[in-house]
Amino acid sequence: MKIVVCVKQVPGTARVPLDPVTHTIRREGTRSVLNPFDSCALEQAVQIAERTGAKTLALSMGIADTELLLRDAISRGIDGGMLLSDRAFAGADTLATAYTLSMGIRRAGGADLVLCGKMAVDGDTGQIGPELAEFLGMAHVTQVTKILAVTDKSVTVKRKAEGESQLLQVRLPALLTVVREGCVPRLPSIRGIRAGERARVPVLDANGLGVDTGRTGLAGSPTQVVRTFMPQRESEAVSLGGSAQEQSTALISLLQEVGTYA
Amino acid sequence: MRQDLIQEVADCHKIYLGDESRRFGQAESISFPTTEGEMTAVLTRMWKSQTPVTIQGGRTGLAAAAVPQGGHILNLTRMNGVLGLREAEGRFFLRVQPGVVLSQLRDNIARRTFDTKGWDADSLYAYHRFQVGAEQFFPPDPTEASATLGGMAACNASGARSYRYGPVRQHITALRLTLSSGDPLILRRGECRAKDRELLLHTEGGNTLTLTLPTYQMPRTKNASGYYIEDNMDAIDLFIGSDGTLGVVSELELALSPLPGHIWGVSCFFAHEEQSLCFVEAVRSLGDAIGAIEYFNCGVFELLRRNKEENPAFSGLPDIPRNADNAVYVELHCTCRKDAEELLYTLGQYMEAQGGHEENTWVARTQEDLDLLHFFRHAAPECVNLLIDQRRKLHPGIAKLGTDMSVPDDCLHQVIAMYRRDLKEAGLEHAVWGHIGNNHLHVNILPWNEDDFAVGKALYRHWAEAVTEMGGAVSAEHGVGKIKAEYLDVMYGPMHIREMQQLKAALDPEWILGQGTLFPVRKEASV
Repeated sequence: MKIVVCVKQVPGTARVPLDPVTHTIRREGTRSVLNPFDSCALEQAVQIAERTGAKTLALSMGIADTELLLRDAISRGIDGGMLLSDRAFAGADTLATAYTLSMGIRRAGGADLVLCGKMAVDGDTGQIGPELAEFLGMAHVTQVTKILAVTDKSVTVKRKAEGESQLLQVRLPALLTVVREGCVPRLPSIRGIRAGERARVPVLDANGLGVDTGRTGLAGSPTQVVRTFMPQRESEAVSLGGSAQEQSTALISLLQEVGTYA
Repeated sequence: MRQDLIQEVADCHKIYLGDESRRFGQAESISFPTTEGEMTAVLTRMWKSQTPVTIQGGRTGLAAAAVPQGGHILNLTRMNGVLGLREAEGRFFLRVQPGVVLSQLRDNIARRTFDTKGWDADSLYAYHRFQVGAEQFFPPDPTEASATLGGMAACNASGARSYRYGPVRQHITALRLTLSSGDPLILRRGECRAKDRELLLHTEGGNTLTLTLPTYQMPRTKNASGYYIEDNMDAIDLFIGSDGTLGVVSELELALSPLPGHIWGVSCFFAHEEQSLCFVEAVRSLGDAIGAIEYFNCGVFELLRRNKEENPAFSGLPDIPRNADNAVYVELHCTCRKDAEELLYTLGQYMEAQGGHEENTWVARTQEDLDLLHFFRHAAPECVNLLIDQRRKLHPGIAKLGTDMSVPDDCLHQVIAMYRRDLKEAGLEHAVWGHIGNNHLHVNILPWNEDDFAVGKALYRHWAEAVTEMGGAVSAEHGVGKIKAEYLDVMYGPMHIREMQQLKAALDPEWILGQGTLFPVRKEASV
């Protein structure tokens, strides 16, 4: 069995620089981390591999230093990594990203099971998983809380569904997007880090991947970011100091100000 | 003075009668000054009425120094402003009030953002330089980040990174204090030193105090037991670690340090205790790039595994390797990634040399992973506190018995063998963790009932005697406070205790500050 885990490098801070022209996140020079949902997808893949002997691959589309992220994934128990990196991929929306990733998976020889985080914390769309499944012609299940069983033919999962849980069995190949609840991703070991450093991580550009560059990056993105702005804070927290009496007096004045206390 | 500055202790003040030591006392009045002026006014009032004053910060102390024994509680948490910044010789020095909370300070430093209202032009210029310069940090890292800076100075707090950076004493360059009489005193490091054991202090009120310093030699180990005393010492060091018994700090100047480019944490699991001790000795030879060396024994693992199963608050703890008996946590502080990597592999080799295995490690190279290891570290005392609180419901006479003793390097094997042997013989449940790099472990005895507690207390005293015999300290970082006062007696003996009391009396003649701290009772006859 072959499992591919799609991972994304996201900014490690909420204060990210934005490109003034494309209005997308400027990733160079920003401290980056693994998307937290993807770390759970990696953990699930390693656990399945431990049980079944499956081969695992971490796949990412990103700038050159995303290679470090893939080596980190290997240090956490993933067997190998593949990076898709080209200026032609920059500025991609979810459709162009899913197309590029699907080409990466095909180039890697396909997959029986594809795992993704339920969303990336920078874009928050949650669209990559389902779109990627469509490109690959696979069934998909989103919001998976637990992978209960994996055989050569199917995967049985529990998923969150509007406040309830669903138990589903899906025929392979399939794609799952996983949530973070109940998942404690393992930390790398020194041995794992040695393996990560030694591993060969192929970096494929648009040519190497054989993609249609009209369908990648900004050019292939039907979604164009028109403007990016910080939302106005509509609520504000006020800290009241002083004695209990001072605090209650200040609280009453505040309530009077907003008209909820006469 | 504000009418309501001094309030009678009421129900809403109950939490101020205790601290993290889980001890509770009593008091008649409490105040929360916001300025040095208010603080001095309160002190002067108490001085005139001969009312004992207990100084409080974040009440995170483990030795009950902030627990009142009657009188007035002077709570400094609302004196929490950052007052200015100075740059000298390429370093930054931050001036803060004592109620500033460590976690907030760290956050401000990391974000390079301070509320600069009221700062002078020099401070604002330094602030601009701070914002564009190399990233800085404040190295002391006591486990409880809700500690206040004033409290940290009072007990000379340290933490895991004191292995590399020393206790908070080494990061305080100036103090502004008020003596119990209301007389202010300003001390800048390097400006006022003792001559041998005689120290002259000139107060802002124009008084000169001639102090005869105690004659004892401090142990050559990590130490927070009693007053810091040495020949020709800097006056500022007398007040740092004095547990709120000599004066009240109203301002501190803190030295910031350049943040190492790469901080990695490595937890190394071993099957046998002896392996980890030999590993620690090897790691010590690796020099300045080692930021911390910590230890966790099997008792900690049992406690954490149980809490991970039963308490959702701890469900995010990583799974401890099944065959592990203990772990050593090493923190690497390196300027470049390559150095950190080389050091990491060296740790792996040292582990294997002791019969450990490289796969039995957790390596944290990102802030998120480091946070997870810190959560693991912090969970140990949290779980102990929860356990003791639970057992106290049935046996109110028990309390946590947590040691804080350090010994010289060559006594590490001896002291650990002693703890292991004595705990086994006594049949006491326990969890041991702490700063093994400094030979400083916290042995936490977890009594089930009053009998266990009595046996544990006796063991504690026996260890205080044995550690003193080894040339160690009965308190290495928590301070003596109230609950370790009897062990200070063990460590220094009656003559030196008397000398300390005489020193206190010279600075606080009415014995107003911190009654019951360091010395269980005022020994009138001896002062």
